[in-house]
Amino acid sequence: MPQLAFDNSVYEVRDELTGPLMLPKQVASSLSTQWTCRDVQMRQLASLLSSHVPSPPTLIVHGISATCKSTILRAVLATLEVPHAIVRSSECITGRHLLTKILWNILEALGQKEEWEKAGKGRCEHVSGLAVLLEECMAARPVENQGKFVLVLDEIDRQREAPHTLLSALARLGEIIPSLCVVLVLSSTPRPLFLQNAAVPHVSFPPYTRKEAIRIVLSSNAPVVERLPDETSSRVYPYFVSTVYDSLVGPTAGSIPDFRSICERLWPRFVAPVVNGETPPGGNNEWDFSRLLVKNRAIFRHQGESALVHRIVPDETPASVKRAPLAKTAMPSALPSLPYFSTLILTSAYLASHTPQRLDTIFFSKFSSSSLSARNKRAHHRRRLKVLSQAQAEERQAANDDPSTPKKGKRTKTRITKSTLSSAFATSSATTSAVGGGAGIAGPSTILTARPFPLERLLAIYHAIDPNPPATPLRVAAVADRIYAELATLRRLRLVVPAASHNAMATSSGNTTADAGDKWCVNVSGDWIGELAKGIGVEVGEWLAGGLD
Amino acid sequence: MDIDGLNDALGLSNDKSQNLGTYIYQPPKHGKSAGERPSKRRKVSSTAGKDEQADRQRFVPLLNGDENAESVQLRYDTYQELWSNQENKIQDILEDVDAGVLTDVLSFVRDTSPQTCDGCIPTALVTVGSNVSSLSRLLSRLNGQLISTEEGSVVVLESGDAPNLKTTLKNIIRATVTNTDGNDGYQKFLTDRAGPRLLGYDLDLLHDYVQRKGTKKLVLALRDSEAFDPGLLTDLLSLFKSWLDRIPFTVLLGISTSVELFEGRLPRSCVALLRGKHFEVQEAGNCVDRIYESLQTDPNTNLWLGRNVTSTLFENTSDYFQSPEAFSRMVKYAYMSHFFANPLGVLLANPDSTILAQTKLCETVRNLPSFRMFCEDLVEEGSIKQVRDMLEDDEYLIQETPKYLDANQQRMRNMFQAVHVVHTCLQYTQSAKKTNVSDLSVRALSGELSESTIVEEMVAMAKTLDSDKLDKLLGRLRGILISPEADVIQEDLRTLLETCSESGPLRSGYNINSTVTKTTVVQQRIRLSKGQADLSEQAVEYTNIVDRLVALLQVHLTETLINPQDLFLHEAFLFDLRNPLKETFAPRPRFAIERALATPFDYLLSSSDVTMTKVSAKQPATAILYQLYLDSGALVNVHDLWQAFYGVFETEEADGCDDRVVMSLFYGALSELKAFGVIKNSRKKTDHLAKSAWMGL
Repeated sequence: MPQLAFDNSVYEVRDELTGPLMLPKQVASSLSTQWTCRDVQMRQLASLLSSHVPSPPTLIVHGISATCKSTILRAVLATLEVPHAIVRSSECITGRHLLTKILWNILEALGQKEEWEKAGKGRCEHVSGLAVLLEECMAARPVENQGKFVLVLDEIDRQREAPHTLLSALARLGEIIPSLCVVLVLSSTPRPLFLQNAAVPHVSFPPYTRKEAIRIVLSSNAPVVERLPDETSSRVYPYFVSTVYDSLVGPTAGSIPDFRSICERLWPRFVAPVVNGETPPGGNNEWDFSRLLVKNRAIFRHQGESALVHRIVPDETPASVKRAPLAKTAMPSALPSLPYFSTLILTSAYLASHTPQRLDTIFFSKFSSSSLSARNKRAHHRRRLKVLSQAQAEERQAANDDPSTPKKGKRTKTRITKSTLSSAFATSSATTSAVGGGAGIAGPSTILTARPFPLERLLAIYHAIDPNPPATPLRVAAVADRIYAELATLRRLRLVVPAASHNAMATSSGNTTADAGDKWCVNVSGDWIGELAKGIGVEVGEWLAGGLD
Repeated sequence: MDIDGLNDALGLSNDKSQNLGTYIYQPPKHGKSAGERPSKRRKVSSTAGKDEQADRQRFVPLLNGDENAESVQLRYDTYQELWSNQENKIQDILEDVDAGVLTDVLSFVRDTSPQTCDGCIPTALVTVGSNVSSLSRLLSRLNGQLISTEEGSVVVLESGDAPNLKTTLKNIIRATVTNTDGNDGYQKFLTDRAGPRLLGYDLDLLHDYVQRKGTKKLVLALRDSEAFDPGLLTDLLSLFKSWLDRIPFTVLLGISTSVELFEGRLPRSCVALLRGKHFEVQEAGNCVDRIYESLQTDPNTNLWLGRNVTSTLFENTSDYFQSPEAFSRMVKYAYMSHFFANPLGVLLANPDSTILAQTKLCETVRNLPSFRMFCEDLVEEGSIKQVRDMLEDDEYLIQETPKYLDANQQRMRNMFQAVHVVHTCLQYTQSAKKTNVSDLSVRALSGELSESTIVEEMVAMAKTLDSDKLDKLLGRLRGILISPEADVIQEDLRTLLETCSESGPLRSGYNINSTVTKTTVVQQRIRLSKGQADLSEQAVEYTNIVDRLVALLQVHLTETLINPQDLFLHEAFLFDLRNPLKETFAPRPRFAIERALATPFDYLLSSSDVTMTKVSAKQPATAILYQLYLDSGALVNVHDLWQAFYGVFETEEADGCDDRVVMSLFYGALSELKAFGVIKNSRKKTDHLAKSAWMGL
């Protein structure tokens, strides 16, 4: 014991000069109680950033999100007591903003905040200027503090409006100013030599493996459930956690916070049979994991999948277990209430988007509407289009399958979209619009994509499908003018958009003038419009390719 | 802008064109050429005298300009007074409607914090449906409440304020500071701080502000969330999320479609940042119904909206995106047009006889259709003397008119009271679908309500009500149906109920339970016969009471539900012109342009006497070309068009016309049509034009 005390006092003496002398191993062991499974990275960081060893001028820390990069880095820096400044790049709006922020944060960390007048009046427009200013700041430090300084740039690869030389320029800072060590935290995997600079040390934070993830979640206790015996909880919970990982988290590449919240949400439902005092099947008088799992198969199927999707308004049925299958069907019933006229316009916009123009005379012409042969013709075209759309859908599925085979990690993801696609096609073949799907359907124009249409066509279709056509033709003229007004509102709601902005949504949020020849496009899914149209007495399927069969 | 300036700007001041149906627009001639900038508008502090003058000028003298100034002024004043009363009522209703949602949202804002939302941004989703304007009312009241308790404030952001991230942040910060400190406060806030000047979009500014003010809740409201660019919204929200530990953001999203649709359009990463609750604002329809009810049935009302106006108003609300504010603007316009254009409006001001003593006004009254009907009725009744007096003696007419006006206005009020009675009864008798006051009013205003099936069914149902319901109904009617008979009936019912309180509700003899179906077998045939079950003594008495009530109702309704068009002087207190309202609120520019081009002499004076229907060289060149264009297919060869155009001039002027002049006319017309957006160059064939508009759509 006296030996240890002596040791401590030695450290304390050294402390006052240069900070605690901690070996990387000690740092790692002191932190790993709090953050498990990151020992290697901690030791790497501690040895690279320790105040007693000269640091490399630049250091790259990379790994996908939710791998504890920033947390570990902060913790290591705090433990080592190295003077440092951390700038979160995601909070900086422009490149200039980032540079200014770097300057201030360093001034603040050095305790020179009052002397901002000297440091370029707190303004910094370019990296070269930053280098000069930082050099001055570093030199202005009191002599006993002339040690190493670490600048952490968090999520620097996500910087908005960054000039393309920004990263390599920032990496040079450490070379220009010897006492500065710049740590770049990236969430994407860096390309080789992307800083135009040889031999920059990289610390990688790989995603947690199955074992690690389960260990991390198990390191905190099972969520408390009332009337559940502790003994059962501690016995079943580890199995439960690994089942959740295998069924829900692993296949979807979920992160640790997701994993934890899913466990917390599903656990009370999982053990509900025990809590409610139900008798276990098979003559046993005690529930074990496998019995609970068999009992709760449905949880993993229905609620588990819905637990993966975050909703803004959470489902408020945590207690009731049995309503699970019903809840899903009850949700999308909330249709918005559009006024009559707007609904009709939206419907005609949808039809204009989804009917090939060459078939307009067959579907919408008033002269052929009553005759039997015309109806047969229409039905024939509907069927043909349906077959066509199915063939296209299958083709797309095949196309989706092919590239998914080489990538292992993403394979499960594609499978989910595939199943949703096929189920969507199964329920309402051509009535689904392509907008929801988005990703795979950007290719050639098909029956399923919403195609742009000129405004005059919308007006013509409106007159064709109007369920209460006006008795006097004089009133008709007013309709076109009113349609424009309503269309403006629909556009504001992004239900119908100008075709140009449909392709490049990001750029046009301002109001551009619409020209007469401009094309428009509908921007919502078909099921939804079908429901709305039924409310005002229009059957969309009657007009639509493959709708009624 | 004062009235003169407005007239100048519109080029209306010099001529009488505002009273004309059509006029040719002549832009005001300024001394500058087209390229120069327009002169800068200065803020000119208007003097009080000028205002007064403008006030007087607002209404023009009617009756061919012979109306005297006092009555013009009176019309204006009466309008102001009437409308300000009605407007206050509307405001009260709007505030009352929002109250429920307001308290909900307020408590949500107070109770939630990032900690209660698992570290997500607390989000209130407010679906407003087509009632778009209600959100801004809600937000301004929320803002007021939060500021008054010094908890925080509400910043309202619209899609127009958010073209890109930088500007959006700048706007947010500016709006937050000016909301509490004003514009000067914002400038001071930027300059009066230690340390370097921050960039305008730096959220550090907001952080600073929040710390200074001790703000606990900063509500950021996006009024039209759907119109925001999804990419921008994602950026903005992720930024808020990263500042959430320092600035207490709460996001309030106004949604016009549905939550699912909105959520589906955002990227998943963005949705994962939000968590909160869903609120629904009451639909515009309900609100409008209430406004209409209070406007028409209020006992102090002097001016009513007729059937045509009412149906136009409600058509607009149900068919189009329309806010309650827009509804009340339409009503205001109706009131305004009544007083602006109807010289009889002066009668509503209860003027003394000196003002009324204008021969023209008396003539106007005598020319009314309702006056004629009234006189015919009087003649039938035999009071010929009175008719003669009214026709010949101005003074007598002036003396009598206000009396009749008052009486007939009272009858209108009674009519709406009766509508109220019917509505109240319907709430007890109708089970499934509820008819609202506006429907009933439309029927009543057209004089059809008393014979309508609704009332018949209501009376039939009222007979079968049991005593409990009837008691409640009578209680409700007490304030509305003022007649001694009703009180007597209620008293009788009470005494009856007291005598037999233990035996449950009484049923009348008309109730289905009181009829008994007897089955008898006669000669191997089953005969069903209905007969009255034996009624207890109380039931008989109750039936008696029900009969009296029904009789009372029927008498009351037939008495009061008259056709307002039959009332003398209804022109003065009933505004029922469909047209200015419809034309103003649903203009038809496309129709007008098409008509002007297709048949130009509908608008222009033809130089020749015969009205021509076919194309002629006397018409403007653009109109000629448009008519030729109408005859063509989707693609037009320009040369063909030119040939046809030239042909028109050739046939008219036999002695040969100047090629070059016609050609220049043709080019002028063509470019004008292009400017209208009617034709465009075709990509398929270079020498062809493509049609891009069809007439009559």
